[in-house]
Amino acid sequence: MLTGSAGTWRPADLVNGDASLISRRCWTDPQVYALEQRGIFGRAWLFLGHESQLRNAGDFVQAYMGETPVILARGGDMGLYASINSCTHRGLPVCRADHGNARRFICPYHNWSYTVEGDLVSIPQEHALQHRPDKRELGLKRVPRVASWRGLVFGSFDPDIIALEDYLGDMRFYLDAFLQRFPQGIEFMGAPHRWLLDANWKLPVENQLGDVNHGAFLHSAIIPREAQDTIEALGYSVVTAPGHGATFRLMPEDAPVDEVAWGMEGLGGLLGGEEVQAYLRDIQAQAAQRVGPLRARMKGLTYGVYPNLSFLWSNASFKVSHPRGPGQVEYWSWAVVPADAPESVKRALRTNYSSFFGPGGLLEQEDAEVWVQQFRGSNIDHADDHPYFYGLGLGEERPHSELPGLVSVTANEFYARHFFRRWRDDLQAAREDR
Amino acid sequence: MSDEAVATSPEQQRALEAFYFREARLLDNRQFRQWLALLCEDIRYLVPSRVNVQVDNRQRDQEAMLSVERELEGEDSRGCPIREEGYLQLTLRAERAYKINAWAEQPPARTRRLVGNVELLAQEGSQYRVISNFHLAYTRPGCANALYSGQRRDLLLAAGSGFRLQRREVVLDYAEIALPTLGLLF
Ligand code: FES
Ligand SMILES: [Fe+2]
Repeated sequence: MLTGSAGTWRPADLVNGDASLISRRCWTDPQVYALEQRGIFGRAWLFLGHESQLRNAGDFVQAYMGETPVILARGGDMGLYASINSCTHRGLPVCRADHGNARRFICPYHNWSYTVEGDLVSIPQEHALQHRPDKRELGLKRVPRVASWRGLVFGSFDPDIIALEDYLGDMRFYLDAFLQRFPQGIEFMGAPHRWLLDANWKLPVENQLGDVNHGAFLHSAIIPREAQDTIEALGYSVVTAPGHGATFRLMPEDAPVDEVAWGMEGLGGLLGGEEVQAYLRDIQAQAAQRVGPLRARMKGLTYGVYPNLSFLWSNASFKVSHPRGPGQVEYWSWAVVPADAPESVKRALRTNYSSFFGPGGLLEQEDAEVWVQQFRGSNIDHADDHPYFYGLGLGEERPHSELPGLVSVTANEFYARHFFRRWRDDLQAAREDR
Repeated sequence: MSDEAVATSPEQQRALEAFYFREARLLDNRQFRQWLALLCEDIRYLVPSRVNVQVDNRQRDQEAMLSVERELEGEDSRGCPIREEGYLQLTLRAERAYKINAWAEQPPARTRRLVGNVELLAQEGSQYRVISNFHLAYTRPGCANALYSGQRRDLLLAAGSGFRLQRREVVLDYAEIALPTLGLLF
């Protein structure tokens, strides 16, 4: 617990100037957490879902913006609407299903009913009364900004936030290397796997943002040393803007197609047989034409979009780290597959995700364990004068002639320093204008 | 599953239960290689994902409205099961346990499986379709204790004096996954 009242500490006390030293309190303190909810989750563009989940009018999925439950829906006009899942009468959630198709959300308590866009359409009690409330004023609270880019839907509580395209900035270059590789983009498969872990939300984010290096150590029971050496020899880590990052391999120009093609290195690709492999080779054969020769050689590892969206290219999964208090995270992950692939190929490729990731994944059970242990290690007394060392590779990142952003080797922890600099500045800004 | 159990002789029932009790003992004793020997090499091992579904109005007043099946995103669904594995993945899991750097389970979990409600649903030749329930108590240093509960839907193949497992679908009882891992051998 930070000592004293809310006024006696500054975010700069927790993260030093170049973010090479990070306080344990960043992970555990309730005051820090409260400021995160306001200064980050109350302002940033937050990932809500994918348009492949919302094909028809009335389709909806549940989402969270920080701890706030949100319904993302395809409206009658085929627009995207996000509303807070809480009845204007007494606050109950009006929708309980993970996903579905609805004409109305009907609140269980007194049956006020809402359209999927969030507008209030009926108050059963009003017929017995003389004064009828103005229903136009009483809809579900709407998320003021909703925007979609390449089918990825985001929302923000800040009506004045910059356009989503600008927020993503040069991350679009790296995301497109994947999303534009497929003739019809990607598709999310089913409801997310939702996993509660006794960890802080930022560690899964940091892990996916650029921590390739732990693979050789934490996962050494599964990942052979030679495989990890190849990854690191061809590996790049990029920060396009603080908090946004990508790691990937740039394969040699003469590398065989099976070594470059997305999907081949997962168990679904390896065990999927001729149909799956022919599909993956065909996609790779079109890659130079679709995304250009440089990005055709890209073989991604992990991506992060500030504050809490992750994309695991190598294992075909999108992930969101939802905070649930300083010491708990609700981690969501979806399998993603190419939208144009035959159904049988999609089913094979979803196991590229589930074999190693998700709550049953061979690798991710190891990640989850260390995320929990990191919170335990942070949530202790008498060590506040001993912050975490985030200085590996300090200042070694450089611009690159072909790759947007700052670029370095995967052992450089600049991705995490940039994340925490933005985090610190966001918290400071939130303190100043409260 | 609407299936009814078929009549079994006491000997047959005992043989099925003996198979499951031994299997549970091997797993709790961490004798995973001996457990692998209970599997057919073409085994399918599935853990469907469990979702909160919308009530289907057309099914109101019917048992189908509440069917467990509707909540499962299994291998034939357009969703994503938690696990869809074969012998290779199960071998990876079993062998990983004996590596000194398998950090997620160092020190290893102490588990206790109770298997019951063993019912034979059908027998065709040497194939037995059997369901059973389990509770699995899980405790590991540095980790909150957990209790897993679920149903296993198995296909067993008569082999010698016992059985081998050809297919298992594990229906886990969870709302949110507040469990340390779903990577166990259930
Ligand atoms: S609380 Fe929703 S209708 Fe009363
Ligand atoms: Fe990892």
